[in-house]
Amino acid sequence: MAPSRMPSRRPRAVLRAVTATAAAALVLSACTGGSGAAGAGDTSGNQLLTIPREDLATFTRNFNPLSPQAAPMTLQAVYEPLVVHSMADAKDTPWLATKWERAKDGKSLTFTLRDGVKWSDGQALTADDVVYTFELQKKVLGGFDYLDKVTAVDAHTVKFSFNKAFSTAFYEISNHYILPKHIWSEVKDPAKFTNPNPVGTGPYTKIEKFQSQSYELRKNPDYWQPAKQRIAGIQMLAFSGNDSANIAFTSGEVDWTQSFIPDIEKSFVAKDKKHNHYWFPATGAMINWQLNTTRAPFNDPAVRKALSMAVDRDQITEVAMNGYAEPADCTGLARTYDTWRDTSLAASCTWTKYDSAAAAKALDAAGYKESGGKRKLKNGKNFTLDISVGSASSDWISVANIIKQDLAKVGITATVKTPDWSAVQSSYNTGTFDTGIVWSNNGATPYEYFRGVMSTKMVQPVGKQATENYHRFGDKKADKLIDAFAAATDEKTQAEQMNGLQELYNEDAPVVPLFTGPEWGAYTDARFTGWPTAKNPYATLGNRNGSTILVLTSLKPVKS
Amino acid sequence: MRLILRNLGFYLLAFWASITLNFVLPRFMPGDPVSRMFAQAQGTMQPDQIAQLRKLFGLDNRPLWEQYVSYVKSVFTGDLGISISRFPTPVSDVIGSQIGWTLLLGGVALVIAAVLGNLLGIVAAWRRGGVLDSAFPPLLIFVGSFPYFWLAMGALYLFGVSLGWFPMRHAYDVGLTPGFNGEFLSNVATHLVLPALTIVLVSIGGWMLGMRNTMIATAAEDYITMAEAKGLSPSRIMFRYAARNALLPSVTNFGMALGFVVGGALLTEVVFAYPGIGYQLLIAVQGLDYPLMQGIFLTITAAVLIANFLVDLVYVRLDPRVRVR
Repeated sequence: MAPSRMPSRRPRAVLRAVTATAAAALVLSACTGGSGAAGAGDTSGNQLLTIPREDLATFTRNFNPLSPQAAPMTLQAVYEPLVVHSMADAKDTPWLATKWERAKDGKSLTFTLRDGVKWSDGQALTADDVVYTFELQKKVLGGFDYLDKVTAVDAHTVKFSFNKAFSTAFYEISNHYILPKHIWSEVKDPAKFTNPNPVGTGPYTKIEKFQSQSYELRKNPDYWQPAKQRIAGIQMLAFSGNDSANIAFTSGEVDWTQSFIPDIEKSFVAKDKKHNHYWFPATGAMINWQLNTTRAPFNDPAVRKALSMAVDRDQITEVAMNGYAEPADCTGLARTYDTWRDTSLAASCTWTKYDSAAAAKALDAAGYKESGGKRKLKNGKNFTLDISVGSASSDWISVANIIKQDLAKVGITATVKTPDWSAVQSSYNTGTFDTGIVWSNNGATPYEYFRGVMSTKMVQPVGKQATENYHRFGDKKADKLIDAFAAATDEKTQAEQMNGLQELYNEDAPVVPLFTGPEWGAYTDARFTGWPTAKNPYATLGNRNGSTILVLTSLKPVKS
Repeated sequence: MRLILRNLGFYLLAFWASITLNFVLPRFMPGDPVSRMFAQAQGTMQPDQIAQLRKLFGLDNRPLWEQYVSYVKSVFTGDLGISISRFPTPVSDVIGSQIGWTLLLGGVALVIAAVLGNLLGIVAAWRRGGVLDSAFPPLLIFVGSFPYFWLAMGALYLFGVSLGWFPMRHAYDVGLTPGFNGEFLSNVATHLVLPALTIVLVSIGGWMLGMRNTMIATAAEDYITMAEAKGLSPSRIMFRYAARNALLPSVTNFGMALGFVVGGALLTEVVFAYPGIGYQLLIAVQGLDYPLMQGIFLTITAAVLIANFLVDLVYVRLDPRVRVR
């Protein structure tokens, strides 16, 4: 065995050579070209509106609007609807349709199309395109069960005939994108067509420089309102997750984001007080704490109301949601639906006000007494429950933890369970959960919301897949009111039905409403101006929803 | 020759076992992609569309064995189906468009870490007790045991945000058209520095330590003493006698690591917004996109098996003792 003798010559040469090449490589690559931040500081008037997508790590060239995963801006800049509805001010703006008429019996809708609208390949928009769009939609994706037929009364008038009076159809139909018949009727399998070069009526339809990390949308040369095509184009950037997207945003390299930025005052606004702004209007869905009503004691409305009284909504909105959310009241309606709210009912709410003592008394009265500091069920066992939240939602996990602390004050031991959202989702679908934090429907009217929390038609037995109403509560009285609301054609009857639904909700307490989720949105006006704000709420700051096109057609580039 | 054929047979068996597992495991996950999609849509999709979407995605309830047979068929014809989370882009397009970046990032980082680590290990072992041997292995292991995410964000903050030496995201400057010209290639290289550097930092310690330990064992062999007695120069002995024999475990490790490069570097992609297949796999798993998951797992499986097979072949060339059997 040779001892580990030191050789006389140290192999310094080798080491030196290795380190030299490594250093050279680093220096060389650092020298070649700095990284020009995309458009930062560009105020030539031709700057592109830069929008990050942190949820899609890479883009695929799929602009098929029939697909639930169409590329960003497909439905916001390439294809347009008949009417644009803004959740921010509840206004409807005529778009591809200039006027519409609802029949007195509520069984049909007639739209008059705008003159002079052209597709981006130069052909004219006609009523046949609208008819074809809805036929294709029904064939490929289904839905629209209330729709009997769509007919082109003449080249510029379309009539939708329903098989029952359904007033909320207006929003589903008018907010739907319109496809060109002359392109899509030639496609063999529309569902599987990736539509790489889309033809639409929208302001930005030309796809350029498509890469997996970014792509650009340039002006549609035949757009019907060229005066509103003030920005040169849109640039989409792909990111994998909030962190990298937020770095880009807070350093001023992108213009508009819809993702949540923690501590936005310090991390974003403080960097450039003049240009950096944010606005979180409470136009999101109502976030509920749902109790599985197929399990005792959650099937007792008195228990649900008592549990609701134990929850400190103010602390939830202040601490867990950083003050960006609005606490709920006993009408169950999100702030989005302020115009529908029964204000006298809202003023006299009891079970949505935080009161631990009253909650304890109500639980005693319902037969769930406390003994030894722990509340007991009617069979003597401890009153415990699980709260499910998906692991990816850190803010909702904080909400669940606050509820857990509040429940401990009335002697109930709660456990917060946070598996991945797909596991939580599937427990919601099959009704195998105990309680959980859940979103609700957020349509143009409260119709979808009440259908989702109280309609017997959406109730599925435990074990069978439910698509909404996971807590499986149905009230036949609610069905009657919901159907009457949908059938009502005048505003007075609609308001009556909606008040009735709110009263029923107050009586039944099908879920424990927590807060209205805010819609996140922040922007910098260093390169573009004309953004919606609290003072000018013509749209929300979402760049993936129905009112985005209003923002795209209102922005102006800053020219210096 | 017989050796190669026998190995090939074994690899085919391993391949069949892995593709069966790839098929079975995702289906054990609770939930289904359509209801996940519907929940994320939050009221913008109609409940009546769910049945149709299920049919569109091919999730209708065919018996499991039928699905398995068509899956095996698709593996051999290369038709990996249509991705659900990127509907209707075919899976092969989704993977194909991003695998290049993953291979570039992973490959470059692996090669640099392996070569540098092995060189450092060789030198450290030869100069046992010297500065390199005492200081570097513990230092590199220390740096390597930091949570990778922390290290990456630290590097991004230091070199990208504070000093501004390197770009902070993406594979190349936005708006640049890819092409095999100097400008694009140097741009890609600049963007590659930080991500690759962080991966190299984390993994180099392992290579160095492994090589050093094998070298020390090899340096104690009789033929090294013989070579020294013959009067050969120390550097020649170090490289052409000791290192050559100590290289064998490193070659095996390199083969394994090369196969797994295809799995993507998830955390690197998240921190540096680098395009690649790692984050794609995460989204596919979260969205229960069976075809894409199967496609990516299949790619990883095939890459690992092929890399191992190639290493086996190289081994035969490197180690004469294997040939005799």
